[in-house]
Amino acid sequence: MTALVPPELVFACGAEPFDVNNVIPESKRYPKSKLCAWTAIWSEMLVNKEIEIDSLIVVAGGDCHNALVDGQKVQRSGIPTHFFFYPFDGNPEYLESQLESLSGFLGGVRYPGKFREISKLKKLGKKIDEKRCNGRISPADAFRILISFSDLCGDLNKLETAISSVREQKIELNNRIALIGVPPIYSDIHEVAQELGLQVVFDELPFEFIRHSGNDIHSTARDYCGYTFARPLDFRFGFLKKELEKRKVDGVIHYTQFACHHMLEDEILRDELDCPVLTIQGDMPGKTPEQVKLRLEAFGEMIGRQP
Amino acid sequence: MIGLDVGSTTAKAVRIVNGEITYEITGTHNWKDLIKGVDKEEIISTGYFRKSVPHKANVTEITAAIYGVRHCYPDADVIVDIGGQDTKVIDVTKNNFTINDKCSAGTGAFLEFVANYFKLELEELGTLHLKAKAIPEINNTCGVFAVSEMISQLVAGYSKEEVIAGMHYAFARRISFMVPEAETLVLIGGTVKNKGMVSALREIIRGKIMIPDEPQVINALGALKYYNQDIE
Ligand code: SF4
Repeated sequence: MTALVPPELVFACGAEPFDVNNVIPESKRYPKSKLCAWTAIWSEMLVNKEIEIDSLIVVAGGDCHNALVDGQKVQRSGIPTHFFFYPFDGNPEYLESQLESLSGFLGGVRYPGKFREISKLKKLGKKIDEKRCNGRISPADAFRILISFSDLCGDLNKLETAISSVREQKIELNNRIALIGVPPIYSDIHEVAQELGLQVVFDELPFEFIRHSGNDIHSTARDYCGYTFARPLDFRFGFLKKELEKRKVDGVIHYTQFACHHMLEDEILRDELDCPVLTIQGDMPGKTPEQVKLRLEAFGEMIGRQP
Repeated sequence: MIGLDVGSTTAKAVRIVNGEITYEITGTHNWKDLIKGVDKEEIISTGYFRKSVPHKANVTEITAAIYGVRHCYPDADVIVDIGGQDTKVIDVTKNNFTINDKCSAGTGAFLEFVANYFKLELEELGTLHLKAKAIPEINNTCGVFAVSEMISQLVAGYSKEEVIAGMHYAFARRISFMVPEAETLVLIGGTVKNKGMVSALREIIRGKIMIPDEPQVINALGALKYYNQDIE
């Protein structure tokens, strides 16, 4: 899968989901033809059979046009590929028909109990999110768990074990930060931010991963209609504002990716939010580069000066 | 105490002695000359190399710029710091900043391309600009493409002075995209000494533009001020 596809349906069809983005932040690859490094790297790795999958689900509609094209490159290499579209207007019937056709691609629902099982796991995910908001779990640990919810590690037991082994700590939250936009391509940005005195208490997209669920295709369609990234900006920002207030956020880091259309949202977002915003643009994966560290440090100094 | 700013191309030191500001400037790699006989505990550092030089405390260039500019112009809304390798725009009123360090357009390095092409010293560009009679349109803001566009304008018959002026306008336009609407802007950084570039900026950017007498040492001064307010 190339982005958020309801993993409960994939499991229910007896398949094992794998989010191809998971391998990117640690990747050392420099793709030959690239716009966004995320899609370029997974596409090249899939074509070269460096990631083992049987078939690919590309989230195209309501998400990413780079994925739409890079996904077709993978399809041309012979891997069975399905294109999944979210409705921009949130129409539940449309989403239900998309889920039905995905289910058809995966051979139909065989284990309906998976829906509820995953629902329960997502409740544990919400607990993790809550604890990090209260400084009881480190932002990096929380992020690692939440981001895993896109494919639930392909193994529900494995994820449950990972959740139960998260270490509780006491973290001082002096600069509460929301990290919004697409997930950063840097593998250690939560740690780096924390070292520089910024504690991430909200990860926008990973929060979407734990927020939606359902008991069957019908209810899943109704819930995933609220997936903010696929919807108009007003819908997404309306949701964001409430979340930022609830989490008493002091500043926002807007992560954008080179050659990604989400960059265009920066201006509107700055107009909409009335807290300090730092925009970071990443390109290639790896550790957080020095130029980004400088921005984070200056942002920390800036927030620290606020009355 | 001294404020020490070791940036990508130059190093500056500022001292305040009996209320009077004194400063020294040298090349980045000669920074040691600026602190001969000065104890580490006496140094507040800023700039690219702020963490690799001896210091009691260090602060980012962004915060240093805010404190340094505030000393000269307490009412500044926006600070534009045009350095050798990047340009920073700080919106003091909104507590926001942007840094352009991805491409040379709008940084000192862009003007270095121009100077190199004509085999000139960077300082000469400003004087030559003032002799231009017409200003050719140069649209590219990418440093590399702008140089080829500049060559086409030379072929088209514009003089060296005019093409340099055209490049300053292209540069200023690029900077203006980063600058929010503001009543008062303060320009700092070494590049600001280029009069041609500044006159292009004054024409393109709305709002009152102010330039401190010594725009290059503002961050070193700011580092010092930042520390002083911390202990006050
Ligand atoms: S960062 Fe943007 S372009 Fe890249 S995969 Fe995500 S949505 Fe697509």
